[in-house]
Amino acid sequence: MAWTRFVAGRLLALVLTVLVGSVVVFLVMKSAPGDPAVAALGESARPELVAVFRAKHNLDVAWPLQYGRWLSGVVQGDFGLSLTVASDRKISSLIAARLPNTIFIGLMALSIAVVLSLIAGTIAALRRGKLGDTIATSLAALGISMPDFWLSYVLILVFALGLGLFPAYGFIAPGQSMSGALYSGFLPALAVSAPLAAVFARTLRTALLEAGNKDYVVAARSFGFRPAYIFVHWVFRNALIPYITIIGLQIRYILGGVVVIERIFGVSGIGSLMVDGAFARDYPVVQACAVVFLVIVLSVNLVVDVICSLLDPKRAR
Amino acid sequence: MAIGNFPARLRRRDFLGVSASAIAATQFPSSTDSWAQGASTLRAGITGYNVINTLDPGKATLIPEFYVIWALYNGLMKLDANSNPVPDLAESVKADGNALEFKLRRGVKFHDGSEMTADDIKFTLERLLDDKFASPNKSKVSGLSAIEIPDPNTVRIVTKEAFAPLLTFLSNCRTGTQILSRKATTAGGDDFGKKPIGTGAYALKDWVPGERVSLAAFPGYFGGAPRIGTIDMPLIAEESSGVTALLGGQIDITSTAPFADIANLEKNAAITVLKQAGLNCRFVSLNHRKAPFDDPTFRRACSMAFDRNAMVRAVLFGEGVTSHGLIPPSIAYAYGGNTRPLCTFDPAKAKAELAKSKYPNGAEAEIMTWGQSWWKRMAEVFVAQCNQTLGTKFTVQVTEANTVFQRHKSGDYQGSVWGWLGLLDADEYMYDIVHTKGWRNFYGYSNPKVDDLLDRARRELDLAKRGALYKEAESTMIEDMPVLPLFVSNVHNLMTKKVQGFNQLPYSNWGDQFVNMSLG
Repeated sequence: MAWTRFVAGRLLALVLTVLVGSVVVFLVMKSAPGDPAVAALGESARPELVAVFRAKHNLDVAWPLQYGRWLSGVVQGDFGLSLTVASDRKISSLIAARLPNTIFIGLMALSIAVVLSLIAGTIAALRRGKLGDTIATSLAALGISMPDFWLSYVLILVFALGLGLFPAYGFIAPGQSMSGALYSGFLPALAVSAPLAAVFARTLRTALLEAGNKDYVVAARSFGFRPAYIFVHWVFRNALIPYITIIGLQIRYILGGVVVIERIFGVSGIGSLMVDGAFARDYPVVQACAVVFLVIVLSVNLVVDVICSLLDPKRAR
Repeated sequence: MAIGNFPARLRRRDFLGVSASAIAATQFPSSTDSWAQGASTLRAGITGYNVINTLDPGKATLIPEFYVIWALYNGLMKLDANSNPVPDLAESVKADGNALEFKLRRGVKFHDGSEMTADDIKFTLERLLDDKFASPNKSKVSGLSAIEIPDPNTVRIVTKEAFAPLLTFLSNCRTGTQILSRKATTAGGDDFGKKPIGTGAYALKDWVPGERVSLAAFPGYFGGAPRIGTIDMPLIAEESSGVTALLGGQIDITSTAPFADIANLEKNAAITVLKQAGLNCRFVSLNHRKAPFDDPTFRRACSMAFDRNAMVRAVLFGEGVTSHGLIPPSIAYAYGGNTRPLCTFDPAKAKAELAKSKYPNGAEAEIMTWGQSWWKRMAEVFVAQCNQTLGTKFTVQVTEANTVFQRHKSGDYQGSVWGWLGLLDADEYMYDIVHTKGWRNFYGYSNPKVDDLLDRARRELDLAKRGALYKEAESTMIEDMPVLPLFVSNVHNLMTKKVQGFNQLPYSNWGDQFVNMSLG
């Protein structure tokens, strides 16, 4: 019973947060300077054409009414039509075409970050204070402090233009070719994953060191268990809980990274759609993307909370 | 490989194109992915833009929309390398009083297989004129009073008075007057802009909004089927990504290039850089209704107080030429050169002029600009040099492009950097910008002598005489210095060495060249 109430409460909070978030995004977009009519019709647009455009797209009524019309559409699963980035096309189909690409790059980045951090964090903990630790922790510091767009250009310069191993631009959708998507998505995913891998690795290192100093580990050593056995059974397993928690907390930053990376690598995803929409004052597109992002982040948080409460039942109370 | 409603011939050809690319792909085992389809596909990256809303010429406003439209359609005329209109769908044209009579090329087919007649031209122009259609390109045909069809191969376009720029406005460039089929356009209805039908060498094959547009060669093209079977145009929002895509081998040609990179790219043996002064003008716009720019003497002092060559280096990385007037050098018949003393940096003369002006001591003014890019640097360079030379107290006010435009239109400004891109005819650079009735004349400039010269130039069909009138109007206008001309920026294309046949024109042309191109 406590379980259903916990999840239901979180779902309600999710819906309310999305509502509040969409109002905030709506107001921010409205208060930003610029006019979608000018973006769509060009600087030399005649006033009468601007008026026609504004009437057609509901831009000539008061903002609460605009928001109300938009919301009633969203409730019915209709995000409306794009104004300026793909005029008169359904936003829901734009998102449907692009969301899989963003999720694919995001999952790929997450996988890369997990693999890299497992290796680096473990090496750093086992070789504490030695060369391996220094290298791993320095790389982690570098990963956290490098801007992702800068890293993107370095990756392009080295792996695409220099060594010719990967394409410098363009992404093949996973629906078209899975191997093509893995190949063309590698550099963008790597760029997104770098700061994540660094944070994950540092957390894992600390958790491993902490777990390694516990009394039961000392006891296990005194019993004469092999170090590898001790590491796997007592140190690593216990270090996994903070490690998984930090992964859950950091997933939201993948979306932030994807927004920048998609434009640089030409990934046709929802992040680049949102950036284009913001530049061209395409209010409904930005609104729709924001809602999708909000739902994704909040859902991930919900799932992480559920997993953590399963691992540690004290937290559900 | 869904191609829509094209005749069977096209599908067969398209199939041949695909098999050819499959053969090419086996020769290059490293490039098996969809962006590397072999020699029969040109990968023409549209760089710096990724929004295409419509491919209906009557509705199009954005440069990338026209990039594609130029391949899908033809105009009655097209522009040659000197920006002179020459016949395209027309076979010949002759002036007859206030009318232009076009003899049409015979045997021209639309992508749906139907034949073009004079009625289609009448339909196209009347559609643009129709208020209900609300075309953003209506101004290009607003001088028309009647469109007559004496026979199916002849069109007489009557204007209220002789209107020389009309031939330019009927060309296949940024005009919107590209010829449509009455039948296909009517059948297409509101969706015509998504499923365009034209007479061009290429037909629309596929279009993913914000991502790419693909074209297929039209075998029924009146000039003969093009050599390249498929054109794949990824929409690359970042210009710098366009450069990396070209260097990385993902595209063959770009539609633009970042100014700052040109010098380095020219040293790269693997690529070709095409460049020339484009069809554009940039200036400091001055409000004649407000101090201090209400005084022509003060405006002249400002014009001589800064170094346009330094500005070209600082703002454009050298990728442009200084302007001493409004008409760019690529409109050769009307270009007045850039050796006018009033537009040449001369601190002594500038100070002497300032002393004679109404505002000799530290005049204040806000110069508007926007963004972080070269528009901002333009304002900064101008303000810094003016203040240094004249002791004025100009400041730069950074805002947002649309705000600057709105404040221009409402007259709520002192000075601003400004410019026009995509104007085609000398008339647009002069009449629109400095004629008393010009709709781009936001500053309140009015000089009866300039007005008279520009009115006469509109009626003069002889190109040499017309050019002389513009040169005289420009020389007269520059004495009043209504705006401070700055520079004309270059247009650029980057290509790999295998691309052949692309003839760059100053209006930043694109799709119109695909028919001449091949991959060596």
